[in-house]
Amino acid sequence: MFLTRSEYDRGVNTFSPEGRLFQVEYAIEAIKLGSTAIGICTSEGVVLAVEKRITSPLMEPTTIEKIVEVDKHIGCAVSGLMADSRTMIDRARIECQNHWFVYNENISIESCAQGVSNLAIQFGDSDDDGAAMSRPFGVAILFAGIDEKGPQLYHMDPSGTFVQFDAKAIGSGSEGAQQSLQEVYHRSMTLEEATTAALTILKQVMEEKLNSANVEVMTMTPKDFFHMFTKDQVEESLKGMEKIEPEHQRSSLESGYKKSPSIM
Amino acid sequence: MMMQTEMNAYYPDYSTAPIQRQINPYADNGGSVVAIAGNDFVVVGADTRLSSGFSIYTRNQNKLFPMSDTTVLGCAGCWCDTLTLTRILKSRMQMYQQEHNKQMSTTACAQMLSTMLYYKRFFPYYISNILVGLDNEGKGCVYSYDPIGHCEKATYRAGGSAGALLQPLLDNQIGQKNLVKPSSEDLSQEKALAILKDVFIAAAERDIYTGDSVLINIITKDGTKVETFELRKD
Amino acid sequence: MSYVLCPEIPAPGFSFDNCKRNATLESKGFAVPKAIKTGTTIVGITYKDGVILGADTRATEDTTVADKNCEKIHYLAPNMYCCGAGTAADTEMTTQMVAAQLELHKLYTNRESRVATANQLLKQYLFSYQGYIGAALILGGVDIEGPHLYMIHPHGSSVDLPYGTMGSGSLAAIAVFELGWKPDMEEEAGVQLVRDAIAAGIFNDLGSGSNVDICVIRKGSVDYKRTYDEANKKGVKQGSYKYPRGTTAVLSTKVLDVEEVSVTPIEAERMDVV
Repeated sequence: MFLTRSEYDRGVNTFSPEGRLFQVEYAIEAIKLGSTAIGICTSEGVVLAVEKRITSPLMEPTTIEKIVEVDKHIGCAVSGLMADSRTMIDRARIECQNHWFVYNENISIESCAQGVSNLAIQFGDSDDDGAAMSRPFGVAILFAGIDEKGPQLYHMDPSGTFVQFDAKAIGSGSEGAQQSLQEVYHRSMTLEEATTAALTILKQVMEEKLNSANVEVMTMTPKDFFHMFTKDQVEESLKGMEKIEPEHQRSSLESGYKKSPSIM
Repeated sequence: MMMQTEMNAYYPDYSTAPIQRQINPYADNGGSVVAIAGNDFVVVGADTRLSSGFSIYTRNQNKLFPMSDTTVLGCAGCWCDTLTLTRILKSRMQMYQQEHNKQMSTTACAQMLSTMLYYKRFFPYYISNILVGLDNEGKGCVYSYDPIGHCEKATYRAGGSAGALLQPLLDNQIGQKNLVKPSSEDLSQEKALAILKDVFIAAAERDIYTGDSVLINIITKDGTKVETFELRKD
Repeated sequence: MSYVLCPEIPAPGFSFDNCKRNATLESKGFAVPKAIKTGTTIVGITYKDGVILGADTRATEDTTVADKNCEKIHYLAPNMYCCGAGTAADTEMTTQMVAAQLELHKLYTNRESRVATANQLLKQYLFSYQGYIGAALILGGVDIEGPHLYMIHPHGSSVDLPYGTMGSGSLAAIAVFELGWKPDMEEEAGVQLVRDAIAAGIFNDLGSGSNVDICVIRKGSVDYKRTYDEANKKGVKQGSYKYPRGTTAVLSTKVLDVEEVSVTPIEAERMDVV
């Protein structure tokens, strides 16, 4: 794609003669620099697991928040430009609160994603609604939530496109992880199995050795809704994972991109 | 002393005070709404008289507005406000349906109405609203509002011009207030309907803005049934 | 010494004792109690042999019906009746007072009172109160001069007409008269016309309602048809709203023995004899 780079990749609102918006495509590329995040949706609930890149031993790992609560019934995992993700998560939270305020009910996961999507495509020229954003967001989001349709997982990319998934991986290791998810996923998966599978796959695609400090796990269940794993719970899950696969060869997927601390 | 008198002199023909003129943007077009909920149904009735001052505009005005298959809104008060509010509500119901791919529940509609009314906190819709419907469990429910969005969930309610006249009657007959031996039986649809009609007969006796006829909606899981009932016409 | 409860000689006219106090209360936000109005349809016509008066029977207090069957055709003299619209108390008291004066006048003069006399008494009385006595009246009767019908307005003006209406339903009623009234009508047709005029008021004016009262005054005879027509049938209730004995809860009971009390009679004060 980049070999045919032309002048059409300057403006965010200019189509190339082939009908492409290069800036949006580049933004989607930016996600591939981000850390890996995995989501699996089961009938018991949804699990999200993400890698945290600890780029310095002096860094405080708990201050990297890659899984956030949007509402009691919706949690999000993000990958890409972290600063951009804050803006999008803010919008998601506002959508949830506004729906609750107006209708006194929980917003559906799809509607929440729709709300964030509306924000994601506001790059381009300014209009009556306000000043334009200069570029698309460089963020991919996994929405994990429970509504009247049960547990659901949605994925959204920088173009604002959002699609429901049974299991989805985003970030630098997403290609390999998505392949693995396809192999391991089945409809009758339990949440515990899904958690183990997510961690196993994460372990495969991560460069660093997986431990309780460089991973975040969250489950979304009809009973407890948003639940972030404590350090102890993560360690317990890691132990359970090792029991099933004691001697698994860690695949060495090397990322060719330079790591910037702002992209995680 | 003289100075004082001169300074406070009053010249009625030469007033410099700014003249204030005001219009009254509201009209009271009367009308009463009564709603009674049961375990698996809800009945709501509104008289069909639309009036202003001592005149009748029409003897046949429907004041019940279906919001969805299971939700109906009854309005009494300023008719022009009712027309505007119900049109906005209707479009909001449709927008919700299209945005969220589902029909709005009665509870969601109740909350939305409250926020819509409060949005006009300082230039309110002068309407006595009573929203009825079946909740997600199929149970009948009644929500009553003040003009600026206070919402109260109840099982029975009277509103509009004869609201104050009828509420105590419902308190006694349905709420079983001030009775030594309240009945433990569930309220049947037949009984609710009979009381609804009887209270309108009573209201038409004493409230000049209530009369002509009553339009009744009976909402059950099988749908909404419409009935009319004649009242005195003086 | 005179007391409020038993004045020795009642002062003539109205008492304005509390005017200042009430004005103060009003300025401090105390709501003035509302008077009952006979938001009314009253009508009268002359016909071949006399006059026919008609009235509805609703009295209202703001938007509430205060009386569902009140009498708005008041007696003035054996040959004269008077319909009243406006403030209920004013129409009643004014007609009663004039009825008393006419009775005295009849005793003094030993003649049947004339309608013009009653008209003069009523209008002069109302004029003296500058409209503050809210009575709009239709005076009808038959005297030595024949049938007469007067419209008397609250400020004291009056007009002698062959047919007329007053009250909040007057427009509805006059429309019927303009369509149907003819000189020298038969009594039956006249009564029907008056009924229709009142019915127009009852149905089209919210201040008027319930039944039709009619009073036919001929030379030498009067036919007061109270509830000539029940224009509206009351709805039939389905439920029973009778409360069985014991419905009202007795919260507590306390029985006291009757004590024997000694009574000391006080001798009445002797009257002052001059």
